[in-house]
Amino acid sequence: MDVELQINNSIAPEARFVTWSPSPCRIRVTNPSGANTPTVSVKITGVSAANGGAVRFRSGPTGAFASTLTLTVPTSGATVPFFTAGTFGQPSTSNGDVKIEARVGNTLVGSVGLMVRIRKNASKLTNAERDRFIAAFAKLNNQGLGRYSDFNNMHKVPNLSQAHAAPGFLPWHRAYLLDLERELQALDPSVALPYWRFDQPAPNVFTRDFLGESDANGTVKFRNGNPLEFWKTDSTPGISRTPDFPVSQAPPNPMKEAQTLALGTQFRTFRSMEGDPHGLAHTSFGGFIHDPPTAAKDPLFFLLHCNVDRLWAKWQRQNGRFDPAATSSFDDRPGSRPGHRLNDTMWPWNGITSATDPTRPPTAPGGSLATSLCVGAPGLQPRVRDCIDYLGTVNAGSNMGFGYDDVQI
Amino acid sequence: MMATKRKVAKKLEPRKRKAGAPPSVQVAENTDDVRRLLKLLRNIGKPIGVRMAALQSLGAAAFSVANFESVNADYIAALRDVSTDSHEQLRRRALGILMRNKDGFAQKKLLNGLKDPAKALLPPEKALQLLGNDVHAEAYAAARAIVKKPPNKEAKREALRLLAADARSAPLFEKVLRDKKELRENRQLAASALHSLNPEKLQQQALKILKDKKDYSDIKATSLTALEQFGDDAALGKDKVLMQSVTRFGAAKAPAKYKQTARRFLSKYGR
Repeated sequence: MDVELQINNSIAPEARFVTWSPSPCRIRVTNPSGANTPTVSVKITGVSAANGGAVRFRSGPTGAFASTLTLTVPTSGATVPFFTAGTFGQPSTSNGDVKIEARVGNTLVGSVGLMVRIRKNASKLTNAERDRFIAAFAKLNNQGLGRYSDFNNMHKVPNLSQAHAAPGFLPWHRAYLLDLERELQALDPSVALPYWRFDQPAPNVFTRDFLGESDANGTVKFRNGNPLEFWKTDSTPGISRTPDFPVSQAPPNPMKEAQTLALGTQFRTFRSMEGDPHGLAHTSFGGFIHDPPTAAKDPLFFLLHCNVDRLWAKWQRQNGRFDPAATSSFDDRPGSRPGHRLNDTMWPWNGITSATDPTRPPTAPGGSLATSLCVGAPGLQPRVRDCIDYLGTVNAGSNMGFGYDDVQI
Repeated sequence: MMATKRKVAKKLEPRKRKAGAPPSVQVAENTDDVRRLLKLLRNIGKPIGVRMAALQSLGAAAFSVANFESVNADYIAALRDVSTDSHEQLRRRALGILMRNKDGFAQKKLLNGLKDPAKALLPPEKALQLLGNDVHAEAYAAARAIVKKPPNKEAKREALRLLAADARSAPLFEKVLRDKKELRENRQLAASALHSLNPEKLQQQALKILKDKKDYSDIKATSLTALEQFGDDAALGKDKVLMQSVTRFGAAKAPAKYKQTARRFLSKYGR
C-alpha cells in the first residue's frame, strides 16, 4: 500500500515548506494493494535529521499539536485533512532535513521531506545557510541587471513617501521584504531572509565571507569567491559602507529591543520606532545605507529591515495585535496619505502610477507581489490590512508564510 | 511657548554622559526639531562629537519625519556649509550625503579637488568613491588620469571602480585582470567590471586564469565564482579541460576557503 502526503495541500516540491503557523495538509491512499478494509489507520510522525527541523501535527484547524497523529484514511483514494507546523525552537537548516513518515502498523507506506523555513539571526546562521543566502542574493542582483534592480528602484526618490514617515511604514516594508524573499526562494527555495540584530554584536555578519568588511575608505571588501564580490547597483560595482562603531560591538545609539517593545501597547505609539531604532540603525553607518535614496543599494538594508519587522512581530505577539480591525493594531487615520490607510492598496504592487493618481509615483517597478505555493496571502496587490495578521492568528487565510526563530505563534 | 521650545531644544541636546564617552543621539520628531538640529550642525562652537550626533539624528529624520521635504532644502544648504568644515570626519559625511542625493555643488567641489589637490576637501580615493554615486563624463576623465598616475593604491582602486560603468574602459579591465603583477584586489575589481561591460570577455579570461597553473588561488576563486554564478551553464558543463583544471585546483595546496569554491563549482555540474 502507498499513501501520498500533500503539504500545504499540494504535491509540488515548492510547497513543502512550513513555519510555526499551521499548514493545511492532506493524506490519501494512492495504492490500496494489500488493504482489504474500506479504511486504514495511518500513523504520521516527524523524523528529523541531526540538527534538522521538527514538525508536529493535529487533525483539525484548532486544538493541541502532538508529535504523532493517527488518521483514518479511506482506501478509496479520498483525501483526509490534517495540519502540520514547525516545532518552535527547532527550525530547519536545509531543505528536506525533516520528513513526515506515514506507517500502517510498522510498515512505511509513504514519506515526504520538507523544511521548517524560518527567518533567523544572521550572526547565527550555519556557513551553508549563509552561503546559500548570499549566492541567491548575488544571482538576484546579477551584475545590476537582475530583478534586484526593481527593489532598488522601489526605494528611491520620488517613491519614498509611499513607505515612510506615515503609519504604513511597517506594513509596506513587510510586503517589500516578503516580495524580495520570495524572489530569493524562486532561485533557492531553502533560503529565508536573515535579520541583523542591531542591538547586539554581530561578529559573523560584517566579515569578508558574509556581508563584507569595510576598509578605512568605506569600501566593502569580500573574500574572493564570495558571490557578492560581483555586486552592482546603478552601474557601479561594490558597496560603500562605513560603520561608526566597532563591528565586534553593536551600534551604540539605536534603542535596545526591550526599549522598543516598551514603546507602548498601541500601534500609534509603537510606530515611532521608525525614527529610533530604525532610523538610527541606518545612520550608524556612512555610505549607501545612511540615506533613504541609496539605502537599498546595500544588501545589509534587507537584514536591518528584517530586524525592524521582527521587532514589530515580537510587539504584536506581546500585545496580541494581529486583528486588522482593532484600532490598537494599526494607526488608521482618514487624513493619511494614500497607501497609509488600512484599506489602501500599496504601491508599487497595485500598479497605480501618477498617470491615474497624482499621489502615486510616476512608475511602479516590479509588478505585483511574488506569489507562493505555500500560502495565498497577502495577494498580488496587498492592502495595508493584509500585512498585519502575518501568522494567520485571527484568520488562517492571512498567513503570509514566514516566521522568526524567536517569535512564537 | 518659549518654555516648550527650550524643553524640546534641551531634549535634542546630547544626553548626559560619562567623560570621554561619545554623545548619544536622539531622533527628531518633527520639522521644528530638524531645524534645531540644523542649527546645532552648523555651530562651529560646539564639539565635533555633538555636531556629528546632530548629523546622525538628521539622517534618521530623513527617513521618519513627516513632511521632511519642507526642510530638505535647508538640510542640503547646511550640508553644503559644513562640507568645507575644518573637521574631515564631518566633511566626509556631509559630502557623502550630498553625493548620494546627486548634489551638483558637491560634485563640482570633488572634481575640482581631483584636478587641483590644493582645493581637495577629501583624499582622492574618497572623492572618487563619492563621485561614483552620480557618474558622468567629467568624472571618467578624472578617473582615467588617476589610473595613469595614481597618488596611492586606494585611489587607483577607486578610479577603476568608477570606470567600471564606462564602456570604453573594457580593454583596460581585461589588461588589469590578466596582469599577474597587478594588485589582486584590482584584478578582483577588474573581473567584476568586465563581468558587466563584456561578460563574454570575462568568461574567456576566467577560463584562461583557471587553466593557468601559475595564477593565484584567490583570483582563480573569483574567476570560478563568476563562471558558476553567471556563466553559460550548458557550455561550461561540457568543457572537459575546465573541469580538469577545477578538479586540480580543488586538490591543490590552495587555502581551504578557495578550494571550497572549487567543490561548489564541481558539485553544480554533478562532478
